[in-house]
Parts: sequence; structure tokens; C-alpha cells
Amino acid sequence: MLSKARPSRLPSPLLSLYGLLVVGLPLAGLAYALLGSVGLAGPLAAGFTGRYWQALGTDTGLLYAALFSGWVAVASVGISIALALLLVLRAQPTLRRWPLPGLLYVPLLLPALVVGFYLFQLLSRTGWLARLCFQLGLIQGPEGFPELVQDAAGLGIIGAQVLLTFPFFTLLFRAIYQESRLEEYRQLTLTLGASPGQFRRRVAGPLLLRRAAPTLLLSFMATLGAYDIPLLLGRPYPQMLSVYLATRLQRFDLRELPAAYLAGFLVALGLLGLVAVLLRLRRQTAVR
Amino acid sequence: MKNQLFPFLATLALLTGCGSADKPREPAQILAQTWPQIEAAGRNQPVSMVMWQGDPLINRYMNTYVKPEVKRRYGIELQLAAGQGAGLVQTLAAEQQAGQPSEADVVWINGETFYQLRQVDALLGPFVEKLPNARLLDLQNPFINTDFQQPVAGMECPWGNVQFTFIYDSARVARPPRSFAELPAFLQAHPGQFTIPNEFTGMTLLKSWMIALSGDPQLFQGKFNEAVYRKWSGALWQVINQNRRYFWKQGQTFPEQLAPLHQLFANGEVAFTFSNNDAEVDNKINQQVFPATARAYVPATGTIQNAHYLGLVRGAQHPEAAMLVINFLISPEAQLRKMDPNVWGDHTVLNLKALPAAQRQAFEQLPSRRYAPRRETIQDLALPEPDPEYMTRLFKDFRTYVIEGTPVPAS
Amino acid sequence: MRSYLLIVLLLLLFVLPFGLLGLLAVGEQWRFPAALPPAYSLEAWRSLLAADNDLLLGLGRSLLPAGTVAALATAGGFGLARAITRSRHPARWEAASYLPYALPPVLLAVLIQPFIIRLHLSGSVGGVLVGLLLVALPFATLLLRSFWSGHITEYEQLARTLGCTPRQAWRRVLLPLAWPLLRTTLVQTFLLSWFDFGLTNVLSVGKVRTLTVQVFTYVGEANAQLAAVAALLLVVPPAVLLLLNKSTLLRKP
Repeated sequence: MLSKARPSRLPSPLLSLYGLLVVGLPLAGLAYALLGSVGLAGPLAAGFTGRYWQALGTDTGLLYAALFSGWVAVASVGISIALALLLVLRAQPTLRRWPLPGLLYVPLLLPALVVGFYLFQLLSRTGWLARLCFQLGLIQGPEGFPELVQDAAGLGIIGAQVLLTFPFFTLLFRAIYQESRLEEYRQLTLTLGASPGQFRRRVAGPLLLRRAAPTLLLSFMATLGAYDIPLLLGRPYPQMLSVYLATRLQRFDLRELPAAYLAGFLVALGLLGLVAVLLRLRRQTAVR
Repeated sequence: MKNQLFPFLATLALLTGCGSADKPREPAQILAQTWPQIEAAGRNQPVSMVMWQGDPLINRYMNTYVKPEVKRRYGIELQLAAGQGAGLVQTLAAEQQAGQPSEADVVWINGETFYQLRQVDALLGPFVEKLPNARLLDLQNPFINTDFQQPVAGMECPWGNVQFTFIYDSARVARPPRSFAELPAFLQAHPGQFTIPNEFTGMTLLKSWMIALSGDPQLFQGKFNEAVYRKWSGALWQVINQNRRYFWKQGQTFPEQLAPLHQLFANGEVAFTFSNNDAEVDNKINQQVFPATARAYVPATGTIQNAHYLGLVRGAQHPEAAMLVINFLISPEAQLRKMDPNVWGDHTVLNLKALPAAQRQAFEQLPSRRYAPRRETIQDLALPEPDPEYMTRLFKDFRTYVIEGTPVPAS
Repeated sequence: MRSYLLIVLLLLLFVLPFGLLGLLAVGEQWRFPAALPPAYSLEAWRSLLAADNDLLLGLGRSLLPAGTVAALATAGGFGLARAITRSRHPARWEAASYLPYALPPVLLAVLIQPFIIRLHLSGSVGGVLVGLLLVALPFATLLLRSFWSGHITEYEQLARTLGCTPRQAWRRVLLPLAWPLLRTTLVQTFLLSWFDFGLTNVLSVGKVRTLTVQVFTYVGEANAQLAAVAALLLVVPPAVLLLLNKSTLLRKP
């Protein structure tokens, strides 16, 4: 009741409700996972046990999945940011020409599962590109076509993620560019004698990245947790985190469920830690 | 941060406070009713059935035949929902822990899902003997009355019966391996044409292969036997790893699901795929998915045959109506239509001898399979499902010793 | 010249999916090494429409939750972003907004299901809305956070100084300025719930049968022709919506 005495310190009703949803429900879920991992919650909960935590040391699957997901997320978000920046900063006039303003919305219409299916049909060794190459006499059979999906480096997954993400980033950067009146800044800096390159590198680029940072971070996390695309275009080993978790949650053996809850708890904790670090980094580098 | 703690505590209080709602009726109470009572209580109720929905033929059978029929006969509004396996078990278990009636009435299950649902006590029964059509079921058949070595005991009602087959493209493979023993030599002569899907169907393949290696299906009867499993799974990993480079993509990866393997097969990237349903090849050629040159067969020394079942959910809100639906699904009319390869091609679980002559004849005169082996020819090659634990372990060890390539410890 | 090349390249990249999906949807017996299908038919369309005889109903059932979520999330997110900017601890609220994303979707559905059941929301549209808002609302909030920067507040104050009422300031100054971001948010949150299968199916125990829930399972299945038809069924309705709204969506602010 302390807070009642100082009503000004209470967050607004809207914010409280929001907190209840975005903090309450996920924390409740996390607590459930934690209880599940020690045998206190879940379908076959049989009382407290530290067994699954102890077995953690011998299981390298989660670590590999985390590393592989990290690689895919860094590569695909990095490439997407680079492409989007390139388009917004160097091809701004082209972006305004028909049909690009509408066209950039098109990839947003493609759900991940559809993109995965499409790329599989396009890029597999008997896919459409391989068929065209065969007809053109470039390859002698399916074996001659490079391995672009279900490959060891996750190229297919990265390609699919980039296809989905970079148009969205482009739209986002362009919206920020407009609303921050960057065009006016550009005119100003050019009048003051700076080169267009200096404007892009010193003013526009950093500003776009800083203002878009929350959404970029969200995309990064969404890619880390991607499921449909790696399921169709990835290998069973190494797996991305969501596929790994889903496999464990849906294993045929119900007794393995606590281990799955444990893996889920650790993944969530890891992602939370990552957010904390990235947010701190952003605050430190932000020029205010 | 204190301020944010308050709404959180409020939620927790809210969450723990709820949950003492209307309790579902006791199973004994429901099952004590006579059939006319069940029929009267079940009429004009909605029924929610959870099933796998990835095959348009199966969905069409359910949507355009079963749904209108139960509506016409009993006024039942049948609602189909997508769900299966571990996800289904977790949902039913969560509902039960919350002490709430279930959103599902009927579930399509078998094997390990049946085992798990019994473990969490989420099934209502025994109910099968209540159904008037149950007397027509072929319950003397061990492939029907036993589900992965578990006696069905009236806790789930048989719905269909299928056998694992190899499917190959006869235009590309003149002479497929006729037995598991021939398989390694075949792989070496035809590299890159064969792979193992890392899921349910692939595990059925591994089980059949492991039993073939042992030479004695009797070993896998009854409860899980650690020594038997160790010995013969070890032999299996050895033969697979020795021939690994002859698999698709040099055995460096395996398909995670069956559907992509079917697509690879349809596109011509591999020459083999598999099915847990012996009639699927007909069904897929009819849909123009597989080339018309696709054929199915059962290699010596046989493959696994199993049945799939309908379970009644313990917390079901409409158990009587659900029993009416299940009773209809095992009626001769519904079973006959389902067995037609142009409709679904799922083998019946009825004892044809128990049927009146006219109905028996209708079954015998069904448009027969054109590309799949005839049932009579593969019945001798049918192996019963071993204990669910064998599959659980194979799934785990296939990942460890083949996909991840960890050396098999010397036993 | 360079700009033409870029346009052609992007056009190819974004239109090719529809071309290939379209070909797959009507092509029969199309295998390696044929570059084009040897025969065409509408059989897959017919079979899908016959298999799920209430697809049209599903379309309506999908528009309602997706539209509701998009409207609630965008409006809520806009207000929340402002409230967060003005709160005592904006950084904390921002960090909290990332919390739902620390649980990958496959995990989120499983872990919040027990609570949705206890709240008596399982199997209903309400439960689905809570689940979708849990993902869409923080997304919108974070996306719109970038709008409420220092100089927007200055614009608002400037407008007020020049005699605008608070309402006029919103209508004449803030909303037009925010519109490019708002429409991206609307589109994104709409699509987010339109395409959702996992949360919707788990939290409603398969009972809220949106179009996505009805055809999603086909997309990953063995029949490539049918998968392509299902994929187009998922993609075309939002595409038509986008086209219809093109004037509002793509108009210069």
C-alpha cells in the first residue's frame, strides 16, 4: 500500500495493464518451465529432482543449437541491414519510382512456412533452378547442382530470412528517413560543404540504425527463434534453437519433458541476457 | 521495479485463484448408461475431434462424408481440429491439471500417444464394448487388439490398420532390394538414392530393419528388453554407418520429416520413399503426386503392421455424442468407404466374417489397389509393433550415433 | 540505367515466388528435368475446396481476429510508446517489452497454455486474442517508440503554442507525422496474426479455425501442388487487402 500514498509514482493504467500482459504472462510461463525442469510441474511431474540440471553438463546439443542459431541470426540480420541501408541511402530516388513503393510490401505477405516451401522448390538439387541449369546444359544431373538448401552452413536458411527481412527494414528505414526530415538535413550538410558520403556515413546511417535499433533487435531475436524455415531448409544437425526445442518438447518420450522445459528455460534466460546486454550497449553508444 | 511487481503478484493470485470450475463427471457415471440412454444424451450435441490434417483425401472423407452423416443421423455437429502426438498429450494433461473440462472429445491416436495418454490418465474407458458396432470388430487379431504391445482393453477403439511399405520408382530402379539383407549391397550399387526420414515413419523402418537383423521377431515381443535392444540396435548402427556414404547426400544429413522426402521422391532426387500406410502409393498416384511408375512392396523378412485408434477424452464435455461418432466410424458403411483407395485406402478393422454376406461382398469387391501390394500377399510379412520404448530409444540413438556421428560405445 | 536494373532485380526477386507457386499450383506431374509442367489442371484447387468445405467461412473467421489484433496493437502501441517515453523509467519498460520475445513462439504457446486454460480462455477467440496480443502489442510498441523522440514533443509543443487544442495537435500534427510508421505497424501486426498457426491452434485447441489453421498443414505436406495452392490461399487475401488499401497505404503523407 506504500505506492498508494504516492500516486504519481504509479504507472498509468494503460502501462499497468501492458505490464500485466508482457511481463506477467511470460514470467508465469518461465516459472512454469523452471518448475517443470525440476519435476514440480508438467504432465508427469513426480516431485523435486535435480537430475535434469545435473545431466546438463553432458548434453552439448543445446550449445550447438545456440551457436548455429547465433550464426544464422547474425548473418541474416547483418545482410538485411546492409541491403536496406544501401537501398535507402543510395537509391532513394529509385525507391520512389513505380512499382517499388508497393513492391516492398510484397515479401511481408509471405509467411515463413511458404518462403521455406518456395525456396525448397526453387533451390533443391531437383528444384526449378536446377532444372533450368540442366536445360541450359550447365549441369549433367541433380548432383552437379550446388547444395543450397539443407546445407551444412545454413545458406538456405539465411537466404530465406534475408528475403523476408530486408524489405521490411527498407520500409522501416525509409519511414524513419522521412519522419526525421533527413532530406532536409542532407541539403543542409551539403550546403555546409560535406560530401554525400560523409552525410551517409556520419549522419544518416548512424541515425537510422539508432532509431531503428529496437526493431532490429526484435528481428534479430525473431530470427534466433525462427522455426518453420529451418525446419524445411535446415539439417537435423546442427539444428536451430526452435527446432531443437520443438524436437525435445515433442519427443516420443514424455519422461524427457523436464529436460525440454529445462532447455526452454535456459534458452529464454539466454535470450533475456542477450537483450539486456544489447540494450546496455545501445544506451552506451547512443549519442544524446 | 516495486511498482511492476504489484500487477505481477495480482496475476499470480488470479491464476492460482481460478480453476475450481465445474468438475467433469466421473467416467463410471458416464459408462454406466445403457446404449439407448447414451444415444438419447448424445443427440444434437457438438463433438470436437482432434486429428492430423495433412492429407486432403482424409480431410475430404471426414468433411464431406462423416460430418454430414453424423449430422443427419444424430444431429451431431462434428468439429475437426488439428493436433496430434506430444502436443496433444500436453494439452490434455494441462486441462486435467487445471481441473477443467476438455476442449476435445475424440482423439485420433496410437502407439506412444496412447501410452502417454494412459500415463497421464487422460482417456475415458473402457468404452469400446458399449458400442453396438464393436461386435463387428476383429478383436481377435493381435495387430488390432494390441497397440505397441499394450492391450487395447477397451480404452481406445480400432479405426484402421496399415502396414509399412517401401515405395520406389520402377522407371529408375529395375530391381529394388527384396530383403533387408540385400539392402547394403543395393545401396553400394546405387549411391544417393536412399535415405531415412528422422521421424515416425523412419523409425518404423529402423524397427523393421533391426528385427530383420536379429532374425527373430519373437525377441521383440513383450516388455522392452535392454539387452536385446543394445545388441540389435548396435548391429543396426554398424550397418548404417558402414554404408553411410551411399545414402542421399552421402549420409551427411537426413530429412527431418516425411513430407520433404515424398517431395524429393516426386521430384526424382531419390528413388525411394516410405509409407506407414500400405495403400498410400495408390492414393498418391491418384492425386498425381507420385509418378505413375511408383510401386510399393514389403521386403523380406517383413515390416511392421499396426492399427490406429480413436480415444475418448476423460474430461470430454460430450462423451455420449463422441461415442455415437466413434460407433458410426466403425460401422460397415463408414469402414467400407474409408477402405476404397480412391477415398483414403485405410484397411478396415472389422472382422469380415462377422458381416452379413452382402456387406462382406461389398468389401471384397472394392476397387482394388493398383500399385500397392495386395493385403493377402503381405499379411505373412507383418510384424507386430514392439514396445514404445524401442521407438523412443531408436529415435534418440539414431540422432546420437548416426546423425551426430558419436561413436557407438562398445558394449 | 542503374536504377532500371535495380527495379528489374527487385521485381524478379519479389514476383518470382508468386510465379513459381502459381506454376506449381496448376502444374501436374512436374518433375526434374522439365523446366515447365508437362500438363496443367485445376485439380488441386478442386480437391482442396472439396476437402475443406468451409474455407470461405474460414476467410471471414481469419479477418476478424487479425483485424482486431492489428487495430488494438497499433492503437495501443502508439499510446503505450508515448506513455513509456514519458514514464519515469522508459528503459525498463522498453526492456520489459522484449520479454515475450525471449520465449521463441514454439515454447511460448506451450508455456502459457496452462495459464490460458486456468483463465477459462482456452478453446475460445478470447484466448487466441490474448496470445496474439502478447506478441503483437510489444512489437507495435517497440516499432512506434522511435516516433516519440525529442523533436516530436517539440513539434507538439510548437503546435500547442501556435494555438492548437490537444486534439487538433494530434489530428493535424502528430498523426500525419506518424502515419508512415503507423501503416507499417498496422500491416505488420495484421499479417502477424493472419499467418499465425501455432498460437492460434494450441490456445484454441484447434477450435478457432482461421483460414491459416485450415490450410497451414497442407503447406508442409508431401503434395507440392496442393502445398502451392494452400500457400496461395494464405497469401492472396492479404495481398488483395493491400491492393484495395493501396491508395491509403501508399499515399504520400
